[in-house]
Amino acid sequence: MRFGEISQYLYKIWVLCLKDMRLYYFKGPTVIMGILMPLFLWLAFVVGRGFSFAESLPALVTLASFFVSSSITPIVMPWEARQKSLEMLLSRPVTIYIILLGTALASSLFGIFISSALVIIGLFLNVVPRDLILLVLGIAVSSLCYSFMGLLFSAVPSDVPADAVMLSSAVRLPLIFVSGIFIPVPSLPHYIKPIAFISPLTYFSDFINYSYGYGSLFTPLIDVVVLFLLTIIFAASALAINKVTLMRRL
Amino acid sequence: MTKDVVEVHDLAKSFGHVRAVDGVSFSVRRGEIYGLLGPNGAGKTTTIRMTIGIIAPDRGEAYIMGYNVHKEPVKARSFIGVVPEISNPYVDLTAWENLMLVGGIYCIPKKVIVKRAENLLKILKIYDARNRKVKVLSKGMRRRLLLAMALISDPEILFLDEPTSGLDIISARMIRSFLLKLKEQGKTVILTTHNIDEAGMLCDRVAIMNKGRIIARGTPKELKIRFGEYTRILLCFDKEVDAKLIRECFNPYEVVVQGRRLIIVCRSKDLRDILDQIVCIVKEYDLSIEEIQASGLNFEDVFIKVIGESE
Repeated sequence: MRFGEISQYLYKIWVLCLKDMRLYYFKGPTVIMGILMPLFLWLAFVVGRGFSFAESLPALVTLASFFVSSSITPIVMPWEARQKSLEMLLSRPVTIYIILLGTALASSLFGIFISSALVIIGLFLNVVPRDLILLVLGIAVSSLCYSFMGLLFSAVPSDVPADAVMLSSAVRLPLIFVSGIFIPVPSLPHYIKPIAFISPLTYFSDFINYSYGYGSLFTPLIDVVVLFLLTIIFAASALAINKVTLMRRL
Repeated sequence: MTKDVVEVHDLAKSFGHVRAVDGVSFSVRRGEIYGLLGPNGAGKTTTIRMTIGIIAPDRGEAYIMGYNVHKEPVKARSFIGVVPEISNPYVDLTAWENLMLVGGIYCIPKKVIVKRAENLLKILKIYDARNRKVKVLSKGMRRRLLLAMALISDPEILFLDEPTSGLDIISARMIRSFLLKLKEQGKTVILTTHNIDEAGMLCDRVAIMNKGRIIARGTPKELKIRFGEYTRILLCFDKEVDAKLIRECFNPYEVVVQGRRLIIVCRSKDLRDILDQIVCIVKEYDLSIEEIQASGLNFEDVFIKVIGESE
C-alpha cells in the first residue's frame, strides 16, 4: 500500500471518528454506562469508609477509563444497522475495518478525555502521580484496549443496541470486582485469582496504583505491555468477528 | 478505458432457502440510464447491493470501471454514488453535516465539498433546510438529500434504488428531470424501479427481472416492437362486472378488470374471437359498452406481458 493510500485510510478513520463523537457521546447508554455507572460505583466504594480523595482517585480513574472507553463501541454497529446508516457508509469507498477503527478511536479518545480530566482534577487537589507522562501513556493504551474490548460486544448479530449493552454489562460488571480495584488481588479468594490475571482491568488498576504511589503487583512496564498485547488480541478478534456478523446485520 | 462502466457476470444470492437472485448478468455503457425493472421481490435491490459490494454474492462477479467490487471495494466505490431505497442519512445530524461527512469519506478538500454542497442543495431545493436535523425533514427532502449525498463526490456512476418510491408527484418529477440533466452531463445512471412509466421515460435500456432472473432486456422501444403482434383492448361498460366471471370468459387471454373497465391483451390474430366473446358477454349480462379502444401495447402492457409469460 502506498503512502497516499495509507494517509487516505487514516483520514477516513478520523472523519468517521468525528462522526461517532458527534453522534454518540451524549446518547443514553453512553452517559449511563460510561459516566454515571463508574461515578456511582466509586461513590459506593468511598462514601462512609473514611477514604481520602487521594486514596480513592486511582479507583475512580480506573473505573472511568474502563467504563467510558467501552461504553460507545458496543452500541455503534447495532445502532447504525438499525438506522440503515451502516449500509449508507458501506456503499462509500470505505471498508468495514475503517468504520470499526473510527468507532474504536472515538471511544478511546472519549476514555482518554474523561480519565485525563480526573487526573487534572487530582493535580488541582494536590494528588500528583509519580510520572505524569507515563500515566497518560498508560491511560491511552488502556482506553484503546477497552474500546476494542467493547467492539467485541458489538459483534452480537442483532440490530438492537440493548442486546449489545446487556452482553457488555454481563462481562464488564463482574470484572470490576475481581481486578484489584476494590479488593487487592492478593486478598481475593484463591479460586478467583486466575480470573484476576486474565482480566484486562487488573493490569490497568495495578498500573494506576503504582502511578499514585500505592502497592502494585507488577512493574508499570509489564502492565503496559500486557495491556498492549490485549489491545492487539481484542482488536484482531473484534475486526474479524464483526466482519463475519456484518452480513447478518444488513 | 472500457466502454462498459459496469459489468455484472452471473450474480446469484440465496437467503436461506429463498433464491433472491439467480444468475444475473448485464453491462452498462458510459453515459446511459439503465433500468432494472420488476415487481416487488424480483431481486432488483439484491442485485444492486451485490453490484456495489454491500453484500457478497454466492456466485458471480461485478466490476465497476474495471475494478472487481468484491476484491477492490474501495477503488470500485470511489467511482459511484448510491441512493438506497430506504432513507438513511444520519437523522441526528443536519443535512449539511451529512454532506460534509460523506465528502470527508471521499477525502475531498473541504473547500470543494462546501462549494458542491451549496450547489447541490440549491439545485435540489433544500438549501434553506440545510441546518435542520434530518429527523425533521420530510420524506421528499430526505430523498433529495440522499441524492445530494450521492453526488457530492461528483461520481461517474450513480446507483438509485427506487428513487421516486413514495414521493409526491412534484418531488418525483423534480428527481426525474434532475436525472435527465445528469445524463446530459455524461453521467451513467443505474436505477431500479417498479414504476414502468418512469422507466419508459428515463431509461435508454432496461432489464426486466422476475423471481431473481432477467427475463427480458433491451430499449423500451425494442421491447414494444418485440411485442408488436399483440393488441390491447380497452372496454368500459355501463356497470361493474364480475372480475372472476370475466376472467373465465376470456381464458386464456390476459385480462385486467378495474371496476367497469376491462383491459384485454391478445395476439392481433385472435382479435376477431375476442370481439365475438365481448358481444356474447354484452348480450348475456345485459351490458352496454360506453367506450372501446384497440391499440398496440404500451410499455406497461409489455412489462405485464413479460412478467406474465415468466410466471
